[in-house]
Amino acid sequence: MKVSLAGVQAVRGDWSLSAQGTFGEGIHLVSGDVGSGKSTLALLLSGLFPPASGTVEREGIISAMISFQFPEFHVTGPDLERECKAWGVDPGSVLAAAGLAGRETADPLDLSRGELKRLVLACVLARDHDLLILDEPFSSLDCTEKERLCAVLSGRMRGITVILTHEQAHFPRVDRIWEIQDGTLRDRGRLPSALGHWDHAPALVKDLIARGKVPANIAQADLLEAACRI
Amino acid sequence: MQDIRLRAGAAAFLSLAAFASVTGAVVVFIWWLVFSRPLQVIRKMRMVIPAIILVVFFGFVLELTGGGGVSYCVRMTVIILIGAWVYTGYRQGEFTRLGVWLLGKKTGFDFGMVAEMGLQSLELMVSDLSRIRQAQELKGTRRGIRSLVPAGSILIHGALRRADETAELMAIRGYHRGGSYCPVFETPVKDIVAGIAALCMGIIAFIPVSEFFILYH
Repeated sequence: MKVSLAGVQAVRGDWSLSAQGTFGEGIHLVSGDVGSGKSTLALLLSGLFPPASGTVEREGIISAMISFQFPEFHVTGPDLERECKAWGVDPGSVLAAAGLAGRETADPLDLSRGELKRLVLACVLARDHDLLILDEPFSSLDCTEKERLCAVLSGRMRGITVILTHEQAHFPRVDRIWEIQDGTLRDRGRLPSALGHWDHAPALVKDLIARGKVPANIAQADLLEAACRI
Repeated sequence: MQDIRLRAGAAAFLSLAAFASVTGAVVVFIWWLVFSRPLQVIRKMRMVIPAIILVVFFGFVLELTGGGGVSYCVRMTVIILIGAWVYTGYRQGEFTRLGVWLLGKKTGFDFGMVAEMGLQSLELMVSDLSRIRQAQELKGTRRGIRSLVPAGSILIHGALRRADETAELMAIRGYHRGGSYCPVFETPVKDIVAGIAALCMGIIAFIPVSEFFILYH
């Protein structure tokens, strides 16, 4: 199971993004500044945005799903129960997972952005997709929810998960780090060796590496473990 | 046309001329072909084609039910093309300039700013609609009337929320009404030529054709 990008170039007006590489099974973290092209890469990987040149090839992927940064784009149901059904998931368990139990009749657009984000993520994660693309999944979530999401994502045992984010504090355990810099997608490699080349690394990670205490991964528990070695 | 005063004036005049009669619509269409860079307009605003198809459909229904469909089709198509020409030539800030020039620094500024915000909101709505359609596609929602209702609801909800947030931000920044903006316009010769041509086309549209052909009498 993999998604391969060969000489891909995406163009939007004067702006362009070049991408090359293979996303295999596991959790991939793509970091980059705001406006660097993370959302465009997400659309390219999902097949929703055709590249101007190059090819995006998917192998062994039957089901793919993308969660957009703005959760309201996903809404099709007039109430939470029908919204869950539109995703093909059980409303009872999903609403409970999103902390929205008992609000089945509420209009999704009346929820706060954070609540709606929780709902959409719960719907997306309730099914086992071969390719799961999460565009800024941590935006609009509080710290507790971010950590809860990290735990769920770290527990994903199969498929390809691509997380595109500029988040600097909360991460699941990831297998590979990518960065978008100067309009180009760069593969930083597998963890922990990727951490030394990760330009968008959070200050804490950079500090730990500078002290020679390289964390095994970037989840909070790994960073704490490395910090305790100081 | 770089000068928004001439562009807005020409657009208003040409739209009226096109709406008034089929002859008017034909002469305005000729003007559009000569002065608007038609290919560029259609390439920049692809929504023109579905809009025209919709007009043709309603024209067809009108022709079948009571007549007048062909005239409706021709006139509305030309008005859409003029609208597309105005929209594709838009550059940020020019409606504020036009508003201040027309109605002064208080009322004119407010009207101009509202027009600017409306246009920006329209651009955001177009990009939002594309994302909504992609999200619906992923959910397996079929395109059609049933998928348009939630999409429209999200777009309106989003536009209202943005308007609310912008209003609050402006109030926090101390905005009350009006501004101190002094507009500056550039009027190249080709704008003046296109403006005069629009005026001539309008006159031709409003004066009976037979008046031009003396020999006809």
